[in-house]
Amino acid sequence: MANLKEIKRKIKSVENTKKTTRAMKLVSTAKLRRAEMAAKKSRVYAQKINEVLSEIAYKINQYKVGGIDSRYFDIRENIEKVDIVFVTADKGLCGGFNIQTIKQVQALMKEYKDKKVKVRLRAIGRKGIEFFKFQGIDLLTSDIGVSSSPTYEKAGEIIRKAIDDFENGVTNKIILIHNGYKNMISQELKVVDIVPIEEPAKDESYSKSMMELEPEDDETILNSLMKKYFEYNMYYALIDSLAAEHSARMQAMENATNNASDRVHQLTLAYNKARQESITTELIEIISGVESMK
Amino acid sequence: METLRLEIVTPDGQIFANNVKSVTLPGSEGEFGVLPHHASLVSLLKTGVIDIELTSGGHEVVAIDWGHAEIDEEKVTILADGAVAIVGENDSEIANSIDKAKKLIESMSDSPVAIAMAEAKIDAILKHKTY
Repeated sequence: MANLKEIKRKIKSVENTKKTTRAMKLVSTAKLRRAEMAAKKSRVYAQKINEVLSEIAYKINQYKVGGIDSRYFDIRENIEKVDIVFVTADKGLCGGFNIQTIKQVQALMKEYKDKKVKVRLRAIGRKGIEFFKFQGIDLLTSDIGVSSSPTYEKAGEIIRKAIDDFENGVTNKIILIHNGYKNMISQELKVVDIVPIEEPAKDESYSKSMMELEPEDDETILNSLMKKYFEYNMYYALIDSLAAEHSARMQAMENATNNASDRVHQLTLAYNKARQESITTELIEIISGVESMK
Repeated sequence: METLRLEIVTPDGQIFANNVKSVTLPGSEGEFGVLPHHASLVSLLKTGVIDIELTSGGHEVVAIDWGHAEIDEEKVTILADGAVAIVGENDSEIANSIDKAKKLIESMSDSPVAIAMAEAKIDAILKHKTY
């Protein structure tokens, strides 16, 4: 009889878990819709600004427009120190979402270390920060609370620190890593070299002619364009990551709900079996009792 | 007919993407027109109005607050912070979008002259617009 009670208790507890996971799934679905809209809206702008910048990079390297010798575009520079900025979620329970990003960061760290390049980490999101802290790896900056509610201003602030170091020659390269939204059921890891800006792929069709800048004092326009580029890329990484986080969590919670249903089914079978067993035992007891009375 | 590809994007999405005859932009150094085969150019844009001449001969107006234009022989890409296209099915919708456009310009520019100029330009273009 004790066994019966125990199974019943288990069923109840699994059912409660199921309720929780289902609720979490619904919440994620609702949040995903909003985050997805935001990410989709900004995707065009992010793509365009990257396109424009890489074309400018090509032209500047090709023609030395206005004698610009900007570090932003110098891809030949020897790399000695790299900043990796990566975005993870603040919360867990979203399957392999965070660990994918973390693994990518570790792989890159190893790759650069093998090349004797110094790597510094700038983490955004509690999960990534906790992971590297536990591993005893130092983080240069860590921001919590941004990945769950990204704003343009905060994104700008964070990337500014990295850019300042780049401009002052402390670092030679900045890499931005985030796990991005692909569709409702899958995420895509995105690794972007923020600076130096790469030239477009060779086969792409774009104008190869000389380029002019207006206003001609080239600092103004490049600086404002670069600022926009940095801030927007960071901001886009944050909102794209948020959308991906919700889709990952939705999926993880759906799996959890399904697993809970399976478990309830199994436990119910076990419960019925145990009940049948106890009835049979009782019957045998009664019958054997009656038999012995004869 | 020769055309150029015009794309206007803002952080809130794409406002315009089509082949057009010509486009007039509010450059920071002054207004300038772009026809197909224009020389490559990157320019800063100030608060103002983009006048688009469509392949059909009609005009479309987009108000922007601030941005960049990247121009080459075949295409014009405009990255704006905020942009309002003046379009609508009927008069009241158009009036609505004009209001929005004027608000956008007023919010960005503190010089009354610039505001008045941009507003006058919207009105002037719309007068000649064929619906």
